[in-house]
Amino acid sequence: MNTHPCLRAYLAGVFVPTLVLPLLLAVFIVVRIVLQVPVPIEQGMIFPMAVVPSFFGLWNMLYLASHEWTHLPIGLHGAILPLLMAPVGATVATGLHVLEFGSHGVIWFQACPVPYALIAPGFLAALVGYYLVWKYIVGFLNRVLGIA
Amino acid sequence: MNEDDRNRIKELLQQALPPVASEPEPERDLWPAMLRRLDVHSAVPPHLSRPWLDWALLAGLAVFAALCPASIPVFLYYL
Repeated sequence: MNTHPCLRAYLAGVFVPTLVLPLLLAVFIVVRIVLQVPVPIEQGMIFPMAVVPSFFGLWNMLYLASHEWTHLPIGLHGAILPLLMAPVGATVATGLHVLEFGSHGVIWFQACPVPYALIAPGFLAALVGYYLVWKYIVGFLNRVLGIA
Repeated sequence: MNEDDRNRIKELLQQALPPVASEPEPERDLWPAMLRRLDVHSAVPPHLSRPWLDWALLAGLAVFAALCPASIPVFLYYL
């Protein structure tokens, strides 16, 4: 199966965000429509729906293209992605009023306060999460699709 | 060992070993198979893959999410 390796890499990359998306939609329906909680989830859905899957797919295509000369393990390759996505996501969230900067911390979705002291550990946790997701899920899919 | 013995051994060896063909090239390119074998041998063996470290990272992630539940929707935002 040597045809269209970039397409297969893209599809393997978008697999995880595509799985998470229905979960987010379910949370959106429950919180916004059933519980009628006044938080701006609609704006918060734009980034995970429109940007994150593309980032994952393109990042896996980059892995396919660069692995020949970088020999970087796929887990570490995936752990680099938050360095790119975190500022983009924060910028989008700030523009859509999903993220606000307070005196003691940031407030996500007008309901989730995160102190500034927890941002660095949270970012490290994101690196760990991405490392595990890419190593075990995207790496498995790459092997299944014959591009690992 | 006299001359007759030497000749006898020579004959036996020539009978046992088939003559090399005039075209000694193999029928197919063996280098890709060699590269595959090299890749297999250079791969990290299972005992060095450190799955315990990944379990520890997963446990740390779960502990962080439990201690700071406000981070869960933020993580989902980036997935």
